[in-house]
Amino acid sequence: MGQRRRASAVNNSSSQRVSGAPAEVARVPSRKHNICMVSDFFYPNMGGVESHIYQLSQCLIEKGHKVVIATHAYGRRKGVRYLTNGLKVYYLPLQVMYNQSTATTCFHSLPLLRCVFVRERITVVHAHSSFSAMAHDALFHAKTMGLNTVFTDHSLFGFADVSSVLTNKLLTVSLCDTNHIVCVSYTSKENTVLRATLNPEIVSVIPNAVDPTDFTPDPSQRQDGRITIVVISRLVYRKGIDLLGGIIPELCLKHPDLHFLIGGEGPKRIVLEEVREKYQLHDRVRLLGALEHKDVRGVLVQGHIFLNTSLTEAFCMAILEGACCGLQVVSTRVGGIPEVLPEDLITLCEPTVRSLCAGLETVIARQRSGSVPSPASIHARVQNLYTWRNVAERTEKVYDRVSGEEVLPLDRRLRRLRAHCGPVAGSIFAFVAVLNFLFLLLLQWLAPDRNMDMAVDATGLQRLWRQEPNSKVSPMKRAAEREISS
Amino acid sequence: MMEDEAFTDINGKSISLDCQNHSGFCREFTVSSSKVSIGKVMVYTSGVWLLAYTVFFFTENTAVLTCAILVTLVGMMLHIHFVKVDHESLLVIGSLGIQVSSSYASGRETTTFIEQSKIKDIVINEAIYMHQIIYYLCVLLKDPSEPDVVSSVVPLFQSSKPRLNCLVKVYKSCQEILSKC
Amino acid sequence: MVLKVFFPQCCNRADSGLMVGRWISGHDSAVVLAVIHYPFIPGQVKQYIQQMQAQSGVELSVLGSWSLPKEGQEGMESFLRDLSTIFPQERWLQINREIGKTGFTCQILDRDQNGRAVQRESKKKTEKADKANGEAGGDKEEEEEEEEEKVIFVHYEQRKVMQSQLHPVENGVSDPKTDPPSELRQVFQTVARSQPLFFLDRYDDGPLKSTHWQTEGREASIIVELLKQASVPLCLLIGWLLSIWTWICGIRLFSLYPLRFLSSKLSTCVQLSYRTEHMRTLSSMKPAVGHTQFMRKANILVSFLVDVALGMLLIWWLYRDNHITMLANTLVPAADHVAKELEQLLQWLMGAPAGLKMNRALDQVLGRFFLYHIHLWISYIHLMSPFIEGILWYGGLSACLGLTFALSLLSDMVALLTFHIYCFYVYGARLYCLKIYGLSSLWRLFRGKKWNVLRQRVDSCSYDVDQLFIGTLLFTILLFLLPTTALYYLVFTLLRLVVVLFQGVLHLSVDFINSFPLFAMGLRVCRSYRLAEGVKFRVLCEEPGTALHLLMEINPLKCSTVVQTYRTPTYSCYPKDSWAALVKKLFVGELIYPWRHKTTKTD
Repeated sequence: MGQRRRASAVNNSSSQRVSGAPAEVARVPSRKHNICMVSDFFYPNMGGVESHIYQLSQCLIEKGHKVVIATHAYGRRKGVRYLTNGLKVYYLPLQVMYNQSTATTCFHSLPLLRCVFVRERITVVHAHSSFSAMAHDALFHAKTMGLNTVFTDHSLFGFADVSSVLTNKLLTVSLCDTNHIVCVSYTSKENTVLRATLNPEIVSVIPNAVDPTDFTPDPSQRQDGRITIVVISRLVYRKGIDLLGGIIPELCLKHPDLHFLIGGEGPKRIVLEEVREKYQLHDRVRLLGALEHKDVRGVLVQGHIFLNTSLTEAFCMAILEGACCGLQVVSTRVGGIPEVLPEDLITLCEPTVRSLCAGLETVIARQRSGSVPSPASIHARVQNLYTWRNVAERTEKVYDRVSGEEVLPLDRRLRRLRAHCGPVAGSIFAFVAVLNFLFLLLLQWLAPDRNMDMAVDATGLQRLWRQEPNSKVSPMKRAAEREISS
Repeated sequence: MMEDEAFTDINGKSISLDCQNHSGFCREFTVSSSKVSIGKVMVYTSGVWLLAYTVFFFTENTAVLTCAILVTLVGMMLHIHFVKVDHESLLVIGSLGIQVSSSYASGRETTTFIEQSKIKDIVINEAIYMHQIIYYLCVLLKDPSEPDVVSSVVPLFQSSKPRLNCLVKVYKSCQEILSKC
Repeated sequence: MVLKVFFPQCCNRADSGLMVGRWISGHDSAVVLAVIHYPFIPGQVKQYIQQMQAQSGVELSVLGSWSLPKEGQEGMESFLRDLSTIFPQERWLQINREIGKTGFTCQILDRDQNGRAVQRESKKKTEKADKANGEAGGDKEEEEEEEEEKVIFVHYEQRKVMQSQLHPVENGVSDPKTDPPSELRQVFQTVARSQPLFFLDRYDDGPLKSTHWQTEGREASIIVELLKQASVPLCLLIGWLLSIWTWICGIRLFSLYPLRFLSSKLSTCVQLSYRTEHMRTLSSMKPAVGHTQFMRKANILVSFLVDVALGMLLIWWLYRDNHITMLANTLVPAADHVAKELEQLLQWLMGAPAGLKMNRALDQVLGRFFLYHIHLWISYIHLMSPFIEGILWYGGLSACLGLTFALSLLSDMVALLTFHIYCFYVYGARLYCLKIYGLSSLWRLFRGKKWNVLRQRVDSCSYDVDQLFIGTLLFTILLFLLPTTALYYLVFTLLRLVVVLFQGVLHLSVDFINSFPLFAMGLRVCRSYRLAEGVKFRVLCEEPGTALHLLMEINPLKCSTVVQTYRTPTYSCYPKDSWAALVKKLFVGELIYPWRHKTTKTD
């Protein structure tokens, strides 16, 4: 009923496991999948997770897969919309609770998500971000419906306080029967494996990437006679804005030609404003407020140094973007940041004010003496380090592997929940899983699958979306968003 | 030319589509939903009366029974006059416009006529309706002074909600006429 | 392109003749207005058309010929075609109808560059009776079908279309180049403005005979004519009365500040000024230009008459059977009763209300203060009691100006009588508000923050020890006095809300009587075709071989749209804040004035 077996795909996967150089010739061409990306965070919200999902989807569409995105409604943006290249986005009207994350009840999203999965004939559900309740819901429902699941984690978590303990437990429950997990750095993999007590073999590391055509250097935008430090991040506690508030007065006192350019918005903005007022630094510290994604590059190229003061980070795309624009990068040594850039492109410091000041001093001295590499050379090096097409290729391999695996039927799933997640949580969620299954049966009786019209494909094998003639232009540059409003 | 095939709506109930070709550039499409089912009426009436009788049994007040009868009658009248749609029709007259009308079970008809200069296109669109995602046919309107901007959307066949196969048929037929004029 | 011919239903059985009407440019359609019968002299026809064009401002022309051959008459096709040379047109329509058949056939003659008439046939015409196009024959039929012109006949009822007004009403002249009016609007405008064309009925002895909706005799109504005659002296009279009234109002004595302030607050004065405006609109000597002005005048007149009628009804009920004396006799005991209840309430609050322990000192102060107020008010009422009957008697007379005046007067009287409740509410609210602000500010002091007035945000601040000490002391005092103040505030706010609610109901009903468009609703109910939202088409059953025939009917405006469009703008009173904002204001202690009055709108 709700379960599907992938017996036919076992042959496919076994042939891939034996792949090596000689077997590449005889390899069965990988099948095209129907993928549904689910997350709370997507356009028009801008951020790391959002651009990751968008870029990955565009590259997968290029490879011929069918990709559909499900997220929650943003304000008046509800219903079905199409983005570049026929990427279909479902903005589902689910209530947003806090910080763009929907309320999680494990049930209220089942009818709509089931509709999406059935009418688009989805084979793989790929959920993003552990902060997103909708992603966890989607994983839960996909398993009840017998679809393969993949989860990508974008952040690091602590272990010690009460909220972390609860969150980690929920993550364990959510991931215990997921087919595959992807993390963005090795540090993140360790963190996730420990938090959710996962089998490390089903966790892969696929780092993020940056679009090099969007972030090109432009030294002519820099102002001579001064050294500008650029900070672009959300102004929240975990991005270390308090540290920044301590650095600014010290350094500005020592170096009269130092300027700060700070972009982003958040509750900690008041700290920076008070520092600015207390030390009369209005002309040297500029607070730009929330920046549109298209304006980020314009701000970055105005600086010489990019500063990142996060207290915890799984994989920092911001420093990649900064380096891609040819800036010198100074950052705290936390989380997965040491894995991102090679040693000579980044200066790492401890997350204290003194250490960051020392690090910045060395970089400023180098900048003054002129012994820094040119922005163009930095850009050339970074451009080859990470590309989205590489990410898409690796993710495709994950899908191929996953589509060969079986989805646990209900009895095995319940046993696994109870065995793996501990007595209390396991039993509660086993109960919830049973209720979910019964709710699914009820829905299948009230609104059977045969009453749903199959969607007309815009991407994938039977694509109907017309190809634009100038398809060499990168997907992000294309501003064509076909809005068919609903 | 009259054609009558069996289609269903999004909930699985059967509806019928009737295409009449009045002329080369004038066509009328009528979608008829199922009639008021006697079973449902009996169930509702019996339910209300049983409830009223139980209340009467405890309170010994005959006004309750009168109330129940009145409620049933008024409810039924309101339902067939304002809620229950018998059939909806779309009349496409090339170079004049499009007329959309719904006819209720009591015989009342509401009609809207949209002039050709205001019509931009007729398209099939997807939307989220309650707990489902459905296809629906709609007319895109434009302001004659701004021909590139869609000023509003008028959905068609809102009460009968036919499925994609029926919509595609109507859509193809309409596009033939709209492209000629 | 499809050619659309709007054909009046009254001409369906007209004798053969020439069709007069207008070509609508840009939309490939023609409106037929009348049919001029044989025999005629072409020169006279041209002269007549020019005369009509000058009178009506519509671009009339001869559209073509209409042929309905009677028994025994032969077909006049060649004669009809020759007519096209007499009246030079771009296009010439030849419409034929045969007795016994319902469908029409149409032939269109176009003038090509050489000035010769080139004929195109309508789609399903089977007979090919002409030679102008060269070879006729079945083998060329496919090509001809592609070039063939398609014709739609839209039948309309001329009388209804002429009197109808299409909504939304477009006032003023819109630039025809940038914003061309739609086809339907042009059709309606053409028929409405062609009124001079319809004056020629069959009893006239002129040289021309035509068929249109008034052929059987011109329509007129005696009542309307009488009203038109009577309106002129009436307008003069009202205008004279108004000028006297305006002169009285303009006396300098009334412009003194206290009187002006009072008159803006009393709803009776507001209603008076409002009615004066209405009378001014009605008594203007110019006739109404345009549909909107006419409807506005009519609505004002009808609602004024209904108002006065209702007022008379009220007077009739009030002045019989000694109702006034009864009312007066119940008023003073009612006021006494209210005062006693209030006193009891205050005594209860001064004790231990609902088991809560109040702060004795503050309690006593507030309680005694309010008790003294009530005592004053009761003495005032007793002082007034002999005059109450007189006041009511003369006040009731004001209802002859309209029910709205009586209601406004009632609302004002209620406001005056409950003035003490208003005072209590203000005292309680101010005290409470002060307390709340003090508490919130001192609470910020606790957390080491303060309100930055310059930046309008909460800032951190370091306080000295003595500042903190005094702040804590004050905070404690205010906190412990809070329940007492809050309770008094709660009680008096509730009382005030009850009064406000009652006054609001009265104001809403006054507003309703003022603004409801009775005339428009009456028109919608009785003559629904006069107010048109759009049109409806119905396909008339066709015979194979003829063009498409449609019947155009008027789709009347929905009742809700009628009310919305024709509502007389008033100083409407409606809630100023949403529910959430209101509750927030109550919580913080701000004074609430929940009903907002707009100033009188003049159009």
